[in-house]
Amino acid sequence: MRHANVLVLTDETEFAQMLTACWQAERQAPGITVIGSELWREQDAPRHDLVVVGPLREGKLTNVLKSLYPGTAVILCVPADSREYGQLRTKYPRLVHIPLREDWAQTLLLVAGESLRRAEALRLARHAEQAAAKNENHATLGRYMLDMKHSVNNALTSMLGNAELLLLEPGQLSSQSLAQIKTIHSMALRINEVMQRFSSLASEMRDAETASQGETSDTAAPVSRRR
Amino acid sequence: MAADVHLWTMDKYGESTAVQKKVLIIDDSPAQVKLMQSLLEKEGYWPVGLSDPKQVENMIAIERPNVILLDVVMPDRNGFQICRDLKGNAEFNMIPVILVTSKDTASDKYWGQQQGADGYVTKPFTRDDLTRKVHELLSAALSRN
Repeated sequence: MRHANVLVLTDETEFAQMLTACWQAERQAPGITVIGSELWREQDAPRHDLVVVGPLREGKLTNVLKSLYPGTAVILCVPADSREYGQLRTKYPRLVHIPLREDWAQTLLLVAGESLRRAEALRLARHAEQAAAKNENHATLGRYMLDMKHSVNNALTSMLGNAELLLLEPGQLSSQSLAQIKTIHSMALRINEVMQRFSSLASEMRDAETASQGETSDTAAPVSRRR
Repeated sequence: MAADVHLWTMDKYGESTAVQKKVLIIDDSPAQVKLMQSLLEKEGYWPVGLSDPKQVENMIAIERPNVILLDVVMPDRNGFQICRDLKGNAEFNMIPVILVTSKDTASDKYWGQQQGADGYVTKPFTRDDLTRKVHELLSAALSRN
């Protein structure tokens, strides 16, 4: 898993120290930045995978939540009876809230771990989507080239054949024309080689795809039989 | 220029007669037909061209070719269909058919063979590729007769 970045936004030093200490005792600790509400400016901060909002000064919670990037995962860790939180619950129904009780640190670490895994999975899915879109473009280009192969081969037949016809009776041609026709002929042969390499590559790719599909269905089938 | 290619036959008086070998070229592209005609003429064959695939049987009945060069990708009627029809026709099925096409995959060649084609030449071809295959099939037909 990529190293995750967590921002802890709180005005309570004890909360920050406790959380950081618990996290650092874990096998995989994320990069943690602690900041108070007075110094917090979302536009200056680098993008974080998770924001943990701890106890803040009175009246700061609403502004802090409002300033966060909408896509950021947020865990709110404030007392359940906080007046400000009570008002925010209706506005942010999907906000993950962990009440500040005895075991808050352990609960928060569990929820944060899941939240970070989810963020990582989303990041990987986005990358996979981008890669798939790129591959789709390449596939379109490849299909177009395959479609054009017939026309290219027909044109090459004419080029090669007519050059060969002219070369059959070289007596009528000047030495310069003869050399030029030989060049046309050898270049046409070279294009033909390139097209043949392209054809064999296309056929290899088709075979590999068929084999891979066959293998997938071969391995998928016994699973249901094994039961 | 190469000497004319002749097929020796016996006439009704028992005299041997030389008949120039006729090659029917079927391709929807007149430029390709002309090219193959020129190449075969240089080799001493008697090439006859046809660009309309619907007229194949009529043309064969009139010209009685010794071998047929047949393109595959053509409008209205493709080369595989024509080959299948000719090989299913008792009057024409002894005439060797060579598919001359840009379709170059193993499955294309296999499918051509399934339709009864006697030879397969892939475009682009060289003069040698084409004339060697024509010569090979004509020799085989001659030895059969």
